[in-house]
Amino acid sequence: MHFGSQNILAATTDASINLEDLDLNNCDREPIHIPNLIQPHGCLLVISADEYKILQVSLNTRQFLGIEPQELLGKYLRDVIGEKQTTVVSNCLSEAFESINPLPIKITIDQSTLIFDGIVHSSQNTIVLELEPTEAREEANFFDFYKLIKSPINRIQQADNLDKLCNVVVREIKAITGFDRVMVYRFNQAGAGKVIAEAAPAELEPFLGLHYPDTDIPKQAKYLYTLNLLRLIPDVTYEPVGLIPQFNPLTNKPLDMSLSVLRSVSPLHTEYLNNMGVGASMSISLIENNQLWGLIACHHNSPKKVSYQVRTVCEFIGQIASSELVAREKSQDIDYQIKLKSIQSQFVEIISQAEELEVSLTRNPHLLLDLVGAEGVALSFGNKITLIGNTPSEQEITTMLSWLENQFGEDAIYKIDSLGQVYPLEEKSKSIASGLLALLISRVQKTFILWFRPEVIQTVDWAGNPTKLIMAEADGTIRISPRKSFAKWSETVKQKSLPWKACEVEAALELRSSIISIMLRKVDELTQINQELTRSNTELDAFTYIASHDLKEPLRGIYNYSSFLIEDYSEILDESGIDKLNTLMRLAHRMEDLINSLLHYSRLNRAELQLHLIDVNDLVAGVLDLISASARDTKVEFKIPRSLPSIKCDRTQVNELFTNLITNGIKYNNQSEKTIEIGYLDPDNPIYTTKISEYPDGTTPKTIFYVKDNGIGIRQRHIESIFRIFKRLHGQKKYGGGTGAGLTIAKKIVERHGGEIWVESIYKEGSSFYFTLQ
Amino acid sequence: MRKLQKQSLLVVEDSDEDFAALERAIAKSKTYDHSLHRCEDGEEALDFLYHEGEYENSTRFPRPSLIVLDLNLPGTDGREVLAALKKDRELQSIPIVIFSTSSNPKDIDACYQHGISSYMVKPMDTNRLNKLVITFLEYWFKVVELPN
Repeated sequence: MHFGSQNILAATTDASINLEDLDLNNCDREPIHIPNLIQPHGCLLVISADEYKILQVSLNTRQFLGIEPQELLGKYLRDVIGEKQTTVVSNCLSEAFESINPLPIKITIDQSTLIFDGIVHSSQNTIVLELEPTEAREEANFFDFYKLIKSPINRIQQADNLDKLCNVVVREIKAITGFDRVMVYRFNQAGAGKVIAEAAPAELEPFLGLHYPDTDIPKQAKYLYTLNLLRLIPDVTYEPVGLIPQFNPLTNKPLDMSLSVLRSVSPLHTEYLNNMGVGASMSISLIENNQLWGLIACHHNSPKKVSYQVRTVCEFIGQIASSELVAREKSQDIDYQIKLKSIQSQFVEIISQAEELEVSLTRNPHLLLDLVGAEGVALSFGNKITLIGNTPSEQEITTMLSWLENQFGEDAIYKIDSLGQVYPLEEKSKSIASGLLALLISRVQKTFILWFRPEVIQTVDWAGNPTKLIMAEADGTIRISPRKSFAKWSETVKQKSLPWKACEVEAALELRSSIISIMLRKVDELTQINQELTRSNTELDAFTYIASHDLKEPLRGIYNYSSFLIEDYSEILDESGIDKLNTLMRLAHRMEDLINSLLHYSRLNRAELQLHLIDVNDLVAGVLDLISASARDTKVEFKIPRSLPSIKCDRTQVNELFTNLITNGIKYNNQSEKTIEIGYLDPDNPIYTTKISEYPDGTTPKTIFYVKDNGIGIRQRHIESIFRIFKRLHGQKKYGGGTGAGLTIAKKIVERHGGEIWVESIYKEGSSFYFTLQ
Repeated sequence: MRKLQKQSLLVVEDSDEDFAALERAIAKSKTYDHSLHRCEDGEEALDFLYHEGEYENSTRFPRPSLIVLDLNLPGTDGREVLAALKKDRELQSIPIVIFSTSSNPKDIDACYQHGISSYMVKPMDTNRLNKLVITFLEYWFKVVELPN
């Protein structure tokens, strides 16, 4: 149960702080677990775990045991309490000591027998035995205990809501203990406390409904409350008693008194109680999920002793109350939670059926708002922001997102009920965006959901003005000290929304996991579609390839047999017969050309690009050499106005691209002086600027090449179709024939390089083909 | 020079028309008058070479000095026949000449990788076929020495 408590306290407290220097500035670090002091209503012995030798004692042993502290040191425990009782002590260490304590310890000195409640625990390999004089002369038995707790527990269990439960608890504890005032004190998420139930006589000023700032109970004290479920100060004005020697001789360190019942409390705490007019105090922890939920705080106007037996009963009632609290609190929210669940399932159903997540989220604005009880919501998908209900402006949210992104840390959720305190909201947003619940769905895709809650002007009644804790000293230093006034002080809280409830946060998180699973499913579906597309593309490629081969075989047969006919039967056939056979052969030839073009085109899709940095000057020079050689009888002037750049491309393919474009320029040209110009555009050329403006910002600059001729031109209505495969604008015999695949192949080459090709043409004057390669 | 009688040619070709055109071109060339055997598919070619099935008689069906192989064949494909022959220690010495419709560089490269002796694309034109056959016969049966 106490495992690791040492480390936690060591990490949060500072053992070097001197008690006299203590104030609220450093009280969060005050090492309250090692005060080296006890309260004077009992005495304390520290015993070695092996030999049961007394190592350390409190300085008040003479008062309780009639033996001077120095006399006890070095003695064996059996010399003080006898062999039999020492065995009882050692036996109880092997068991859970909560169920053993207190041990009735009898000590006989000068013929008189003293009876103590002995409370044993171990600390740092030593045994701590605390002795308090027994109030009741008879030994407590199970039946007394049962009688005391039976009716309180019945009443606690009958209370059907949190309010009633707390009221039962304070009344029962008051009846059992006789404290003047008993309260249930509850902590909120910020650590501040509020009195939610009180039992006190009418003449006392009521504390019910008052708030206490977080600083009233420092962190390490809250932690100790989770270890020690009951703390008692019988006399607030007590003089603390020291230990001798100061340090534990085995460890050379102060004794860890985390679990000690006599441990002296912080002087700040007694000063605080004094200022409040409290003479004795007892607190019982209320724990939920190992966290301090609240306290049952008991105040008495004068000093007051409480027997260990009664304390055990109170502690037990505290534990019963703790477990009942959790159930009551849950049932209070249960109707709302059921409503949230049903909204959530409706919502998930809608978005899982929708094609577009974004659309389905925004199409049901009421559900999206009610899911967490918000009045405005902003959805961010990439750069797009959609606003629903009362929200800050789109521009303000865009700015806020860059701040918000860093607030998530490891979590997918960020919530706050006073956004204005941590983020500079615009004036008009302060009242509508006091509360923010932000959900991170994807950091990469910048997908966020931001819910907003408006300001709720609240009145908080503080016990004293919490800001008045700070006092300037005469020397100018700032000192924070316990409040002297606990009179009600009202504060109006502005720019603060209702807090986000755990069930609302949970609903948001569940929405997130639904959205993510839907996103993942969509990705899966896309992957599958992609796989199918790839497969059907591959199949189509294979089909073109195989079909082309299989088509060629019978075609060759037709051709060959026609020629055999002419060879073998030319004497029998007349001229018209031979002519028809020649036509048959010509058609077969043409079909072979078409199939070859188709084959070539399909091969372009399959061939892997061999990208290298190519000097386009060299490449074009090679193309022109070849074209000039095959078209020796036509007169063509090639113009290259300036040196061409080098670009990364596939040499063979780009070679074919230039060949096709230049050959077309010569072929479809009736001029006696044919000219072909090859070049690239300046960045200030209007054609260049128009084209580049079509690309998104930040695209790397591209080279736009052109091949320009003074040929026959293309009518505007044909511009679209010239790149289609086998599309010819002229009869087969005109302009040297051809299959009509040249421009389709050119386009494919450009596209495979990630570029674009287009044409501008004036009919009968000439055409210019422009293209980019990547 | 070895005696020409010993020399024989195996043509693996599924198309009757293509085979007829080839036979006609060989006849026209008047340079080859030795044994020529045709198998119609890959299975038959392997039976012929391993003396199995109807080709059990190894004296009647001696192994050829040269194989002309089409690639696209029904059943066992020309590529499979090629791979099988080039893996066989006894048969791998027989030169194989591919005679195919495919001018795909991938097919051509793959075949040379398997150790073919040459690759010819079937021409459409009878004149070109005639020229091709003359060159082919000249080269394989007059210029070079074939294994025994």
